[in-house]
Amino acid sequence: MTATVALRLSTGEPHPRAGAAVRLAVAATAAPVYLLARWRAVDPEASEAAEVMGRYCRGDGAAFHRLYALLAPRLAAYLFGLLRDKAAAEDALQLTFLKVHEARATYVMGANPIPWMYTIAHRTALDELRKRRRNRVQLTKEGTLPAEPAADLTGISAESAESEAARPDPATTAGARAALERLPENQRLALILTKVHGRSTAEAAMIAGTTPGAIKQRAHRAYVTLRGLLRPEPRKEPS
Amino acid sequence: MTDKDLDDRALPPARVEAPPPSRDLLKAVEGMKPVRTRTRFGALAAVALAGLIAPSAVLARHVYRPDLGALPVGWVIAAAALWAGAFALALTAALVPRRGDVLPAPGRASRAGGAALVGLLAFTALATVQVPGVSLRPADAHLTLLQSCVHCASFVLEIALPFLLVGLFALRRLVPMGRARVGLALGAAGGAAGGLVIHFICPFAGTAHVVLGHAGGAVLAAAAGAALLPTLLRR
Repeated sequence: MTATVALRLSTGEPHPRAGAAVRLAVAATAAPVYLLARWRAVDPEASEAAEVMGRYCRGDGAAFHRLYALLAPRLAAYLFGLLRDKAAAEDALQLTFLKVHEARATYVMGANPIPWMYTIAHRTALDELRKRRRNRVQLTKEGTLPAEPAADLTGISAESAESEAARPDPATTAGARAALERLPENQRLALILTKVHGRSTAEAAMIAGTTPGAIKQRAHRAYVTLRGLLRPEPRKEPS
Repeated sequence: MTDKDLDDRALPPARVEAPPPSRDLLKAVEGMKPVRTRTRFGALAAVALAGLIAPSAVLARHVYRPDLGALPVGWVIAAAALWAGAFALALTAALVPRRGDVLPAPGRASRAGGAALVGLLAFTALATVQVPGVSLRPADAHLTLLQSCVHCASFVLEIALPFLLVGLFALRRLVPMGRARVGLALGAAGGAAGGLVIHFICPFAGTAHVVLGHAGGAVLAAAAGAALLPTLLRR
């Protein structure tokens, strides 16, 4: 068909399906180039994490500290998103890194350790949530009720906290966060993994132990639900 | 409201200030020694080698089906290739991480295991071949269809069991999430290996028997894997 189109074009007579043929030819050329570029694309953060993890497995103590500095802030935010309790998230973070340390022999050299560490953090958070469900009322060691829950994390750096203009409207943000809390667990998780932590659907599926299709669907549903929850109620006209 | 508005307003921050490493963690890291890390195909090789001992022994010592010589050679080879392909596909998906990943992907494992089972069920239902007068029916051995199916399905499960056990050992610290999905693929692989063996030795060639007893056995093995792996890995 392409040859026919070329012949018609050379004679100056436009073929009725010339546009479609050109688009097809462009797509046929561009698709392999795009796929090859995507396959070859290297995420600099992932390659740094892989290099540091490799040194850590070879027994380099400094590499552990670099890995911690690189990933602990993200994992802490992720764990806080799941557990919604600062103290529990910090404990889970330490436990996650201990588990990573114990399981470092299962690491594959050169692989991206970030989704792997997210998966371990996810499992740790689920274990914590399961424990909470079992012990609805958690008493302290002395047998008394625990103190007030820890303060919420803002994630706003000291620099940006100084400029009031950079801050979103607190009332609006609080309402939006409350809406996020009301999402079903799996939808919230899909949204946090893909939108907040920038994991691909394949990585998010691996972390949550499900399929990429399910992650896409849950994230979409989360948006629909959030939009419904945040829609302003129509004003009632005074009669 | 656009998705961007929602992202700006509702989503929590991607990074927060993390506490320094705890004393326990620092203590563990201080005394660490270099470790030998895993390779992508190590678990696959170990499970395949250990799991294939029993099927090889059965094929070496067992009497082959009486109609093997009378069946079309092309069909015998195609069916064997399908069982072997289903085995390789499901086992690879269950144990080999994608390039650049540390863990096997549970979603990919369950899709591969499911596809292998559907392929086997479809092939056995639509393309089972028997030679009248040579191939046996369960009634010829004074068995009901159900008895013959139970016999073959339990044989398939016996062959699948080593795959599940060795796979469980290989995966013991590898699958924090999606264990049932990986177990399904591992069971499907073991079931396919059992089906491959029984393809050469089972004397009954009726479609109903092959679908229920052979492919059904593989489905049962997959279900057993999906049920057992999460429970046993938790211990």
